[in-house]
Amino acid sequence: MNFRRVAGAAALLALTTAAAQAADKDAADTAVEAAKKYAGTTISIVWEAGLQSLDPLNYSGPQWEKLTGIKVKVVEVPTDQMFTKIMQDFKSGAGAYDALNVIPSWMPDLARAGALEPLDKYVDKFGYRDELQDVAAAYRDNQMQYDGKIYGFPDDGDVMLLYYRKDIFDDPKMKDAFKAKFGYELAPPTDWKQFDEIGQFITDKMAPKVYGAGFFRTAPYPQYMFQERFRMEGGKFFNADTMKAAVNGEVGLKVFKQMLAENKFMPPGVEQWNFVDNLAAFLQGTTAMTISWPPYGRWAAGYGSGEEALKWVPKSQVAGKVGYALTPLGRPELGVGFDLSVSATSKNKEAAYLFIQWLNSKKTSLERVQLPYTLRDPFRLSHYASEKYRALWPDAPAYLDTIKTSGEKGLLDLSLLQQDKYDEAMTKAISSLWAGEDPKAILDRMAQQFDAITEKVGIENQKAVYKVWAAKPGAYPQ
Amino acid sequence: MTLSASFKAAEQRRPSRFGRMLEDRLPYLIVAPAILILLLVGLFPLIYSLIVSFQRITMTENDTSFVGLLNYAELFRDTRLWASLGHTTIITAIALPLELLVGFLMAQLFIDRMPGRQIFVALLVLPTVISPIVAGATWRLMFDVRFGPIGQILSFFAGEPVRILWTVNPSYVYPAIIICEVWQWSPFMFLLLLAALSNVDQSQLEAAEIDGASYLRVLRAIVLPAIAPVIAVACLIRGLDLVRIFDIIWALTEGGPGSMTETISLYTYVQGFSQFETSYTAAISFLVIALLTLITTLVLKRMELAR
Repeated sequence: MNFRRVAGAAALLALTTAAAQAADKDAADTAVEAAKKYAGTTISIVWEAGLQSLDPLNYSGPQWEKLTGIKVKVVEVPTDQMFTKIMQDFKSGAGAYDALNVIPSWMPDLARAGALEPLDKYVDKFGYRDELQDVAAAYRDNQMQYDGKIYGFPDDGDVMLLYYRKDIFDDPKMKDAFKAKFGYELAPPTDWKQFDEIGQFITDKMAPKVYGAGFFRTAPYPQYMFQERFRMEGGKFFNADTMKAAVNGEVGLKVFKQMLAENKFMPPGVEQWNFVDNLAAFLQGTTAMTISWPPYGRWAAGYGSGEEALKWVPKSQVAGKVGYALTPLGRPELGVGFDLSVSATSKNKEAAYLFIQWLNSKKTSLERVQLPYTLRDPFRLSHYASEKYRALWPDAPAYLDTIKTSGEKGLLDLSLLQQDKYDEAMTKAISSLWAGEDPKAILDRMAQQFDAITEKVGIENQKAVYKVWAAKPGAYPQ
Repeated sequence: MTLSASFKAAEQRRPSRFGRMLEDRLPYLIVAPAILILLLVGLFPLIYSLIVSFQRITMTENDTSFVGLLNYAELFRDTRLWASLGHTTIITAIALPLELLVGFLMAQLFIDRMPGRQIFVALLVLPTVISPIVAGATWRLMFDVRFGPIGQILSFFAGEPVRILWTVNPSYVYPAIIICEVWQWSPFMFLLLLAALSNVDQSQLEAAEIDGASYLRVLRAIVLPAIAPVIAVACLIRGLDLVRIFDIIWALTEGGPGSMTETISLYTYVQGFSQFETSYTAAISFLVIALLTLITTLVLKRMELAR
């Protein structure tokens, strides 16, 4: 009896010690320790080509190799080909990729096809659940799971922010004139009516030197803007009972008409603007407001301006003059984002998993989101609170606070089976809108296309996926 | 051994039946590997695509069952497909005659010897050696509403800012594509027609001149008949190229606004590589192959070149 008690106590002590040791280690250290047994192997990871991939090429890949002896082969793929490459690899069973960058809206298709490895067992084995709680709720609750299983770790805090010129908004003459005309203070707009009035007012006062606003009007951004505004005005994409498209009602028409009318106070030719055109206009001080992803804010502040990889970014003429705010109506679109996943056909699943756990961990990800040359945006509560990050430029605290609030309130991108087809229909519709076609006719056509896609996918299949999506906290404003 | 004895010995060593068979078929055996490789490379993808077109393969579903003619039936219901064929026809019908005309006029201009002719010809041919995607991207910049020289030149002549959204405004997207296409490929027509014009029988031209025939009469009665086979081949090559047009439009409009300038090649690409409809894309490809074969056969027959 005594022996049993002693043995039990010893076992309890050993367990407590192991647990205490594990608790001392963070997820990054745990991943590194566990990965050392795979030293000498090579894992491949699919990463978006361009700036994004400089992270694993210049920073995280070499670091991981130094820590674990595992080489990282980065397979750079343009965004629009990533889904195809991942699916081709899966269908062929080649197992050419071990780890993946996956856009969250692809998750239903990839998970249903079986192309992604469920990660729950690894998460438990390597004690990563606690650190996942630090991922901002908008991403954790919306972009991590499909059908109750974890298929990817949210790794990029994409969300739309409103950027505005503080110097113009704080100019006493402008403030007085604005208040006299509209009866309220000149401040970041809280709804689209205010946005339109402020935009038109600044254009009337300052164009052609400065226009009220400028937007990225070519694909894919406008369809994210449409998704956000449509839902914030009360629209629903589908009738949940019949899965009939509901985009062509009064709400859709109102949003389309507003979007079209806004071009009038934006710089001429804004209909053709892409990401860089819009960035250049804002950084050069030609537009007083814009809405875009978080890198705009860093570059506008001049962060990373000495980097070789960022030479293409125009030198900011507005550093120190940029304010950050929620988009009008206060629920910004999350807009794309990236998850880190493991390929189901990988021959090195555990090593691949450990690499993405290390990448995504609190410690490593904080370093990665501060790399000036890549496009990863803060996505953890610890990123928003990081003293180091908040000291990067004078307005960094306001920047991080706005990203945090935007992330908390962010609206999830529509994510259904064969989502790319719905996205394409929206993109085409908006380009027709810029071309001057009748908004109602465009919306009716878009609804027809939505219905045709749904019918092809299978109404019941799609209804089930839509139901799950619509029940997520970020799908529709409550 | 004497010579006659050698001949006798040779006669006695007449090849066996197998030897004769081998001798008869040797040429075929020699070319067989090359033919086999060509068939594998050329026919296998075609046959494979044909099989795929009867299946239900998409990139996102695991069901690959046979569906018979379902994909082909779908072609007839697909309004976007027929619209894209319509857009392809419009571009071909306008660009081809323009390229022929511009190429012919340029060839007429350069048929006479002149100082620096070779340098001019080399410079004029430059657009054809540029990749079409680069040509499209270059013209996109040329048409840019803020920085493009076209807008600036038009503004200079108009005396006020002219802001034409060439790649957005429905009235200008086709002219933009056709300008770019004609700019790039008229020199191809020019080269072929210059060579053809150089070979027109000079004695006939001189005789016509002595007889006082007008320029148009000479052109209609002597020049055009003489260069007709070259014109036919040039039109066939360019016509087929225009039916497959992709790069220039992708760079200029990506098929937009909406699907207004989406050609059959763009639509096929979108279905295959953006919407992942593998089997349906194969069916579209076979429709295009059938259409192109029909057109080519008709044109060749018409031009009496099929022989």
